[in-house]
Amino acid sequence: MDPVSTLPTLFGLAWLLPLVSFALIVLFGPRMGKAGIKAGYVATGAILASFVLSAFALFFVWLPNYDLPAEAHPATAESSAGGAHAGEVEHAAPREKPAITGDWYTLGQFGSLRITIGYYIDSLTVLMFVMVTFISTCIHFYSFGYMHEELEEVTDHEVTLPGGDHLRRRGRFHRFFQYLSLFCFSMLGLVIAGNVAMMFVFWELVGICSYFLIGFYIERRSACLAANKAFIVNRVGDFGMIVGMMIIFATLGTFAFGDVDADGDGTPEPGIFSQVRTPANHHALVVPDGMVKAAAVDKIAKGAEPTPENIQAWREQMEPGGIGRYAYWLWIVAGLGIFCGCVGKSAQFPLHVWLPDAMEGPTPVSALVHSATMVAAGVYLVGRFFPFFTPEVLVVIAIIGCITLFIAATIAITATDIKRVLAYSTVSQLGYMMLALGVGGWSAGMFHLITHAFFKSLLFMCSGSVIHAVHTNDMTKMGGLRHKMPWTAYTMLVGCLAIMGAGVPFAIGLSGHYSKDAILAQALSFKDANPRLGFLFYVAAGGAAITAFYMFRLWFMTFAGEPRDHHRYEHAHESPKVMYYPLVILAVMAIVTGWSIFGFGVQPLLEQARPAGILAEAQGVLWTGLVHPDEHLSHLEEFHVSSTWVATMTGLVGLFLAVVFYGVRMLDPAEVCNQFKPIYNFLMGKWYFDELYNIVFVQPLLFVARRVAEFDRQVIDGIIDGMALVTMIVAYVEDFIDRYFVDGFVNVFADWTYGIAVWFRGAETGRVRQYVMFIVVGTVVMFLLITFYLNYTFAGS
Amino acid sequence: MEPINWHSVFFLLFALVACGFALAVLMTSNIVRMAFYLVLSLAATSGLFFLAGADFVGAMQIMIYVGGTLVLLIFGVMLTAKGPFITMRTKAGEWILGAIVGGSLLAVLLSAATSVRAWQPAAQLPRVAQPTATRLGMGLLGVRVDKLAEQDPTRRAGMSGYLLPFEIVSVHLLVVLIGSAYLARPKKRAVAGPGETAR
Amino acid sequence: MNLLTQPVGVSHYLIVGAILFVTGAVCMATKRNALGVLMGIELVLNGANVNFVAFGSDYLRPGVIGLGLDGQLIALFVIVLAAAEAAVALAITLNFYNNHSTVDVDRADELKG
Repeated sequence: MDPVSTLPTLFGLAWLLPLVSFALIVLFGPRMGKAGIKAGYVATGAILASFVLSAFALFFVWLPNYDLPAEAHPATAESSAGGAHAGEVEHAAPREKPAITGDWYTLGQFGSLRITIGYYIDSLTVLMFVMVTFISTCIHFYSFGYMHEELEEVTDHEVTLPGGDHLRRRGRFHRFFQYLSLFCFSMLGLVIAGNVAMMFVFWELVGICSYFLIGFYIERRSACLAANKAFIVNRVGDFGMIVGMMIIFATLGTFAFGDVDADGDGTPEPGIFSQVRTPANHHALVVPDGMVKAAAVDKIAKGAEPTPENIQAWREQMEPGGIGRYAYWLWIVAGLGIFCGCVGKSAQFPLHVWLPDAMEGPTPVSALVHSATMVAAGVYLVGRFFPFFTPEVLVVIAIIGCITLFIAATIAITATDIKRVLAYSTVSQLGYMMLALGVGGWSAGMFHLITHAFFKSLLFMCSGSVIHAVHTNDMTKMGGLRHKMPWTAYTMLVGCLAIMGAGVPFAIGLSGHYSKDAILAQALSFKDANPRLGFLFYVAAGGAAITAFYMFRLWFMTFAGEPRDHHRYEHAHESPKVMYYPLVILAVMAIVTGWSIFGFGVQPLLEQARPAGILAEAQGVLWTGLVHPDEHLSHLEEFHVSSTWVATMTGLVGLFLAVVFYGVRMLDPAEVCNQFKPIYNFLMGKWYFDELYNIVFVQPLLFVARRVAEFDRQVIDGIIDGMALVTMIVAYVEDFIDRYFVDGFVNVFADWTYGIAVWFRGAETGRVRQYVMFIVVGTVVMFLLITFYLNYTFAGS
Repeated sequence: MEPINWHSVFFLLFALVACGFALAVLMTSNIVRMAFYLVLSLAATSGLFFLAGADFVGAMQIMIYVGGTLVLLIFGVMLTAKGPFITMRTKAGEWILGAIVGGSLLAVLLSAATSVRAWQPAAQLPRVAQPTATRLGMGLLGVRVDKLAEQDPTRRAGMSGYLLPFEIVSVHLLVVLIGSAYLARPKKRAVAGPGETAR
Repeated sequence: MNLLTQPVGVSHYLIVGAILFVTGAVCMATKRNALGVLMGIELVLNGANVNFVAFGSDYLRPGVIGLGLDGQLIALFVIVLAAAEAAVALAITLNFYNNHSTVDVDRADELKG
């Protein structure tokens, strides 16, 4: 099958099916069977069909047409054993990656600005499609079990009405699936988007879906606040993203990622990536012509011709105040702007505060939206835009990721809400991905994105299963549950092992083993090239230990030991099959995602999607001495072996500590807490970010708002009231004039008319003969008048 | 002594008959006599038409007016001729008022009729008048034969004749006949049946 | 001006028409019998007809552009109109007679103001 024509159709269908489902449920949702249960079938059917289409596209269209790269997965035992690939790596020529670009539909063209519905399909897109639809399908099935109480009238025990009763409301089963469908549509649109404008639209759409789903239990005040918080915090990031988009459009004149033949003349116009990494320059970073022209706008206004030679000359003016330097800064700001959007969406420091609160939504939502897919969209966008980022921007990304992963991991240690632990874990893992991308590990970061999606959705669904059983989020009220719900307990154990990165070094491991290993190897390689930035590696390694610690703390507190709350323990039960079957499937995926079998796997696919030119070593221009090493260098033995050991050992350390504290209870956590009271409080307070933002942003805003409201009420309202009073007085005067003068005049006129009519009435005698007389007299009088007074001359006289 | 102009003599005769019997219609109060005098007046008028060279119109005057319309009127007279209505006297005051108004109107009309030079008699009238029946008939059918050879474009107006008015008048007549038949139909009496209440 | 020897002109016809017209008008104004009123109308129409024929006559004014044939045609239409009018008026009169048992037009004053 011809992939160029087939793939857009397949993915377009897979993308639009959830939209169809959404539309159907919106229109007919409440009437779909008892309490809208069939809405669930519709949504699940749609996403299942999307998954089948995506998988078909991967296995029967993509793979037969595009060969995976020959160099085998380097993290597996067989390839890393050699370890002498350095020569090959250095001579690997920049290879054009297979990508299908195009537009389905042009919404409008305003000058050179084309707003299109386009696609950019490479193996990353394919991979994301399969991943998103697969996890979505699992979660749709899972939701049947988790949301079943929404099928009947619901009593919400967390909402107390003023009378003291709990709120009773109708179930919203169909609405849940309606939003899930909309979310799937938006997420797939975001993945397949062929230009920044379209991506931004779907970016906002997933944001609004997230808002709806966090606020699903809208009667709960906390859910309302969390939904608002998520939405508003995301706006901050999106503001930066709009700035970036504006710079890109203003300087490069296009939104498209790839080269799309927009005007139909047969030669494709260069997209963003081709302008930054021109094929003529072997796909190495170069300040794009558009930005140089934008920087030299003064010169061009004075008459300098923007010829290629001139542009080249301007580009090389890198001294302070030079045009090239200005253009480079423009480029950096554009990159940082785009990254700003990713910071908001992927909950990076300092905008990470919304994600833990977002756990107010139903657990399937947390699993799908707030761990596996939507929050990963920020990472995905950084990955997509990777060829655009200069080394300076990448360093910022790496540092932000590093800070995020550390902060989130420390907070997760002390959290007792099971979902919040997972939420902070998610933030931390997203920080890992950002760190990986920031240090130049494109495939490492994307790989972790994929593996994390599987094991984190698994973990969330397990936690949902637990919450479903014990009706609380508080881990201090759980314990010993593995006896009651073995499926959940052991699938969650698989998830914990996967996120910890468990495995036998150089032999085999769970998915997290490979991805975390790749990240650490790249960080180590980066540390080797930039010794001053070595802390990135140490924090990442330390974070791995903390990750293992808090994950197993969670597992032990929930499933091991003695039940702490016997009442809840007695009522706990294993979830229905529709809930734990997806758990098992995802557990299998969490194990095998990292493997490459006969050359097929996630990593070779990512290797195929690697943007052209990013394998070369990149030097910082403004920050001289900053070097982003070639990612393949991290496969060298000196980095790879040590990073594997580090990853495994840190994980084991974390696990060991967790066992000591919570497994066999050799040490009492409470004692440690007392000993480090200030630190414990600091962590329990989540580093007091919310309080800080409250003081720095919210309170001043509220203060200003109150003052403005007071001004409104006292001054503006006073003016308005005064004006109303004046209007009233004027109205009274006018009423008086109307009544006595205007009405009087009209009445007198009417009386006259009536009198005249009565007087003339006498002429109407009803006698025919008299009328004849009138006619004759009238004729005569008229004749006389015409003759004598108008001096009318008759013809011929 | 100029020779007697017989045309003028006959005009005088017919004019006196027409005006005299018209005044007689006005003067008499007997409705039957009025009808008779009207017949004579109209017939004399047709004579005036012949004298003016309008032979077809004169013939029509006799046929339609005298033969048709007045017969209709006489029918009306006979149908309503009950004792009190045959002679209905008019009050003297009305007579005086009518005489004054009519006299002033007559004065106005006469002054207009005699004051225009173009309407004064020609020096010599032609010996023979052209018959007009054919021309009128063609005019009613839509062809003005009298204007076919006309060179002056201002006089060619009305070339299209009177076909449309003729048709309209025909339909008009039909409508009038149906309408009058409807108006004059015998009164229907609403008879209340045994089960109905009278309306 | 001797009418026995001089030719007649349009103005003579107009005088006759005026007399007929005024007679008819006064007839309409003075007769109480509805049929008398009708006869007055006939006289008025007839007077008008005389004028039309006189104005349209080529014979009376040789070589002068008058109404021409149009005058006679209009006279014909007037005759037809008179016939139609007589029929309708008679019908109205008979109806009036049937309803009021009189033909006195002074009794028909129900439309007075």
